[in-house]
Amino acid sequence: MTIDFYYIPGSAPCRAVMLTAIALGVELNYKLTDVMEGKQFEPEFLKINPQHTIPTINDNGFSLWESRAIMGYLVNKYGKDDSLYPKDPVKRAVVDQRMFFDLGTLYQRLADYYYPVYFAGAAFDPEKKTKIMDALQFLDTFLSKSTYAAGEQLTIADLTLVATVTTLEVVDFDLSSFKNIIRWLDVVKKNAPGYEEANGKNVLAFKALVDNLMKGR
Amino acid sequence: MGITLYHFPPSAPSRCALLVCKALGLDVDVQIVDLFAKEQLKPDFVQINPQHCVPTLTDGDCTIWESRAIASYLVNVYGKDDSLYPKDPKQRAIVDQRLHFDCGTLYPRIRAICFPVLFLGEVEIDEDKKASLEEAIGFLDIFLEGNNFMAGTNLTIADISIAASLSSIIAVGWDISAYSNVAAWFAKCSLEIPGYVEANQTGADQFGKAVKSKLAPGQI
Repeated sequence: MTIDFYYIPGSAPCRAVMLTAIALGVELNYKLTDVMEGKQFEPEFLKINPQHTIPTINDNGFSLWESRAIMGYLVNKYGKDDSLYPKDPVKRAVVDQRMFFDLGTLYQRLADYYYPVYFAGAAFDPEKKTKIMDALQFLDTFLSKSTYAAGEQLTIADLTLVATVTTLEVVDFDLSSFKNIIRWLDVVKKNAPGYEEANGKNVLAFKALVDNLMKGR
Repeated sequence: MGITLYHFPPSAPSRCALLVCKALGLDVDVQIVDLFAKEQLKPDFVQINPQHCVPTLTDGDCTIWESRAIASYLVNVYGKDDSLYPKDPKQRAIVDQRLHFDCGTLYPRIRAICFPVLFLGEVEIDEDKKASLEEAIGFLDIFLEGNNFMAGTNLTIADISIAASLSSIIAVGWDISAYSNVAAWFAKCSLEIPGYVEANQTGADQFGKAVKSKLAPGQI
């Protein structure tokens, strides 16, 4: 019994879900949904997700989107234990705060800075780059207090954040001044199950995509 | 020691946190942090929350920020039942998707319109930004199709979060009447969310007034 997974490999939110599924041993039925070709607007997909975004899952009739909601759902439903998303309310609140930080601040600012350039032909706005630096500074501060993003164990907070941060890494954003982020990246790359398969090789697909879009610009 | 909420009434996410406290019948010490006066940057507050944002909640030894993480935490700890944030994984996932939609799509599009007016001296609103917000409200209308509330049959923290966000832009003058599901739901929320007038409407009105005072006429 597999879960249908609508995705493209380069997308950070999709990679975060893939990291989670591998860590849980949950089998995904991969359905490439090329959003560059507008596949998300096809009627069959709109029936599953009227907001027409990826990643989307369909768990045997139950459809869900928003990567971090999917990640939480997979652990809540299929986790053999709660280590990736602790049930303890205080520990969970820290994971949640890091996840919302990724969604609403860090990944948001990555998208604000890069996507108008890559996908809509705009010029880079230096003020938006500064906002990314500010967000990375916050993350660096969070990581000064613990090994992983939300404490001493790997959680889905790390998985969503590593998908985002490696996206910055692969487009040569300079992370070198963020010592705690550098340390943490290394730890997560070594310890996240199936890291290479779920994120290591797929983030290169993002790089290939943007290199192609930026050719001659 | 009890619960302290660091709060700024004009801020929609901050009002969401306060509304959840009210919905759970919690006695909370509210400390105002005036973002217009940049009080969040005071060293004492940065010590509590290095990301210096509101709302921030302290409960005994623990400190939590991000309104929707606060909302989930409060129900997880203090809810007499799980109706505001169901424990069932599928039901919870739908609430989470709506919360993430608010955090990652709806509220950023509201902020994209209002933040430059409030803080960067802009007096006009880009047509693209207007269209973007209309699209987000359109999605809300779809989520509500066949549902009483945002995530199903009952009021949840998804309704509280989204109602707080929407109330900000409505207070600036945005017209949601074209979206019949959203309009009906919003009217219902303003009556059914406990403490809505004092914990949300007052602050939303302050926000609306602040933005309108800086906008050129006829923008909305």
